[in-house]
Amino acid sequence: MGWFSSGPKDEGGPAKTSGGAFESPTRSTRKQCYAARDAFFDCLDKNNVLDSINTKSGREKAQTFCSQLDQEFEKNCAHSWVEYFKKQRVVNYQREQTIKKIEAQGGEITAPQLPLPGQK
Amino acid sequence: MSAPRRLAIGAARAAGNTAAPRNARRTFASQSSTSASSSRVVSRRSTQCLREAQNSIAGNSKPANALRGQSRPFTQSASRSKLKTIDQIRARNKGGPFNLTAAILFLAAGGGLYAYLTYEKERMARKRIADQTKGIGKPKVGGPFELMDQEGNKFTSNDMLGKYSLVYFGFTHCPDICPDELDKMALMYDKVVAECGTVLTPLMITCDPARDDPKVLKEYLKEFHPEFIGLTGDYNQIKDTCKAYRVYFSTPSSVKPGEDYLVDHSIYFYLMDPEGDFVEAIGRNFTADQAARIMIDHIKDWEKPLKKETRWE
Repeated sequence: MGWFSSGPKDEGGPAKTSGGAFESPTRSTRKQCYAARDAFFDCLDKNNVLDSINTKSGREKAQTFCSQLDQEFEKNCAHSWVEYFKKQRVVNYQREQTIKKIEAQGGEITAPQLPLPGQK
Repeated sequence: MSAPRRLAIGAARAAGNTAAPRNARRTFASQSSTSASSSRVVSRRSTQCLREAQNSIAGNSKPANALRGQSRPFTQSASRSKLKTIDQIRARNKGGPFNLTAAILFLAAGGGLYAYLTYEKERMARKRIADQTKGIGKPKVGGPFELMDQEGNKFTSNDMLGKYSLVYFGFTHCPDICPDELDKMALMYDKVVAECGTVLTPLMITCDPARDDPKVLKEYLKEFHPEFIGLTGDYNQIKDTCKAYRVYFSTPSSVKPGEDYLVDHSIYFYLMDPEGDFVEAIGRNFTADQAARIMIDHIKDWEKPLKKETRWE
């Protein structure tokens, strides 16, 4: 059934399995997905919506303002990717805020990481 | 004593190597006739001054024997060389111990030593990293495995021997990080090959064996680099390999066909040496250039012969 419903779409997204995953993720399908994601996130930015997945109000707001782009997003990405990116958006924002907060307090951000070559 | 002594210095200098006999003759001449001595006068005034002084000394007081006895100690080779040395020291001390040659030598030696010590220090640091996981009682990263490459052929950990290997764990349904890292891996690989030749095997081991069969891996990897080798296996083989490499992954053990899910996994590149030992983990914070530099440095440190080096050629 999966291939009947997803195959004949002319301008639609890449082939997907019945579960909503890509049949075969390629560079072009990823590119399409990222573009759809960015368009959707731009819409959320314009309407001042951060979280479009974790809270009920957020989901509703996203539905009200950006439902068209959300559908495009779902169409062009695997469903798991959509959830991943939506959650990542929140996490990234919170991380930025935390960094800003620490920097405003005069603290220094030193993310735990391996030393770069040349650094002692 | 100081005045005649200084004169004797001048005499010794003027006389040069054959100072002793000439000095003796001069003493004789000064006694017999002044005209003879003036005929031997050289253009140097100092010599002349000396002779007049000697004349006055000789004429005033003593016979030739006494003078000879007096002047002989000054013409002895031992004291002459001593005096010469003092002279040289004086000349040298005029400019102090510093001159252009000394400065160049000092800088060259200092610079060379600094460069060498810096290089050695870095090499030892790398060696320490590389040796950290060797020997007894050290954490062991990597280990034997038996998987399948994207052509469906068996690929075991023995196939890694003889070349350095760059091991990356990922999965084809990875949203954003793995593709970025694999693009980086392609850059890293090309840089290393450009500088060191084909001494590196690029491996991508899937953490998602249920979906990533050899065919899927082949399609996936050819978009990144034609040399990449993709490895897959059954769930337990992959689980054991991940465990050996200390890779965390969250692959569900049983998945329905077509199911949509993501896999969490560690995202380090593992550099393994030609004997299959772990060398260094390269994290996401490294650029392709930095990572390639690390690998090239390690590869250049390798002194032992590469085993089975034509395996993949």
